Amino acid sequence: MFFPIDWQKFWGLFEYVPGDPLLFGSSLFLFSFFFVLVFYRLFAKSRAARIYLLILFSIFFYYKSSGLFFFILLASSLFNFYSGKFIFNAKTQSIKTLIFVVTIALNLGILGYFKYTNFILQILTDLNVGQFDPLNIFLPIGISFFTFKAMSYVIEIYLEMLEPTDSLRDFTLFVCFFANTQMGPIDRASNILPQIATERIVLSEDVGRALFLILCGLFKKFVIADYLALNFTDRVFDFPLRYTGVENHLAMYAFALQAYCDFSGYTDMAMGVALLFGYKLMDNFNKPFRANSVSDYWRRWHLSLSTWLLDFVFKPLQIKFRNMRMAGTSLAILVTFFIVGLWHGPNWTFIIFGLLHSIYLIIGLTTQKFRQNLWSKLGVSKYKFFRVIQVLFTFHLLCFTAVLFRSPSLEYTMNMFHQILNFYNAEVFRQFVVAYDEIVLLLIIGFGTHFLPKSWEVITENILIKTPMILQALILAGMIWLVIQVKSADMQPFIYFQF
Amino acid sequence: MISDKLKKVILEQLNLSDFDIKDETVASQVPGWDSLNHINIILAVEKDFGIKFKGIEILKAKNIGDLQKLIDSKIVN
Repeated sequence: MFFPIDWQKFWGLFEYVPGDPLLFGSSLFLFSFFFVLVFYRLFAKSRAARIYLLILFSIFFYYKSSGLFFFILLASSLFNFYSGKFIFNAKTQSIKTLIFVVTIALNLGILGYFKYTNFILQILTDLNVGQFDPLNIFLPIGISFFTFKAMSYVIEIYLEMLEPTDSLRDFTLFVCFFANTQMGPIDRASNILPQIATERIVLSEDVGRALFLILCGLFKKFVIADYLALNFTDRVFDFPLRYTGVENHLAMYAFALQAYCDFSGYTDMAMGVALLFGYKLMDNFNKPFRANSVSDYWRRWHLSLSTWLLDFVFKPLQIKFRNMRMAGTSLAILVTFFIVGLWHGPNWTFIIFGLLHSIYLIIGLTTQKFRQNLWSKLGVSKYKFFRVIQVLFTFHLLCFTAVLFRSPSLEYTMNMFHQILNFYNAEVFRQFVVAYDEIVLLLIIGFGTHFLPKSWEVITENILIKTPMILQALILAGMIWLVIQVKSADMQPFIYFQF
Repeated sequence: MISDKLKKVILEQLNLSDFDIKDETVASQVPGWDSLNHINIILAVEKDFGIKFKGIEILKAKNIGDLQKLIDSKIVN
């Protein structure tokens, strides 16, 4: 035989290995994805065969990251599908509400068990309620994402925004779809189910756009985010006291960029990959560092989560507390952002991260009229420099919370700010630029491209769409080559996988 | 059809002299209808029409036409 194949090793590739999920961009993903795409084209005449193929691949994709816990994904599909039906068909409003409350409680109960049990046990131990040892609980990847996705279906039915689907098959694909199960976007059933229910036609423009998104995603994730993480931010955040204030300060900026490139890079790839099957996922980002206020930032960052919480948590609470007017709205913001913090994980740093954002927003809300009057009296709103100041101010408020987001504990956060406030020598800047020239270059590219005009992006995308397919393939190969050149260690797991 | 009374309440709360409000108009299309003014409008409607909404009723309203229907149903009852 010319090419002896070690079959045992080959089949081993398809088995679950803890800590080794199937990442977009990995060779096994590209290999299996290529075959799925070929079969998807072959099944062009049968929508059912295409859907079953995607469900099977999605289950395999999830199995590779979380083993047998893919059953939770299937159970969630089954449970929420029938709950939606029962809510819709319930004879009275009180029965509707009862089924709805039980459904939401069960969804949150399962999420809470996997994600927060040990956190609660730790709090109980700290409060001297008793001595509770942590339990060995595995956290299925993306459980917050797919639970919120499935819950949106039930909530939309309860609020009469959506009629339930008759197809368990279609609904299972909505919940399990590999492109957005592990890290979002937390797409709404009202966006995806109608797409699953109709023929998916992939136009050549879609292929071009998908390629553009995948290229952007690969660059953001593997060239910028992973390089920054491995060669700079991880080192500083893990041992802040070993570095001067300048390095801690720049690591704060670098992590803000890394988190954005990591998460939005994943989203770009997810959207691109989904588009190759004819599905249009919602976008999660709209240039968040261009925000000129914290409320503007939340209209640009992790949109699928922020709109979910806006529609299903903030608005109901705001209406509930409406007699308290401004105080009621502030309370609704506080509760919503407490949930934002908790959603990210069982750690005080995340909870304080959420509360800080709520404080920013409440201050912004209560001073809104005063600020508007002041800016109009001073006549500064029309000047571009004023907008630049607002953007820079907002960016620094966000960086402050980003430190909390990345720090393993509050002690690390305090250490970072201690270094920045007490060991800051501007001379180190020059040394940093010389010693970390590649990091500086990536920071310039990362932040620079963020502020390029939107029209440039559209022009680049259109050029790529019109490029002949052979050239498109060469460009993709070039990007993969670049990723391999830059990669200095194994691929880094996506930051948002843990949520 | 949006009643003059509802239109007047909305315009007053948003400090607008006039705006073409139709059944299918949604909050985001009306200048100044942000989340804070949303609450002010709901409270003003409740006060001026002498009615009380349930939270879920407001959440179900997709546009101003739905709000008008909700008010009408409350007044009849």
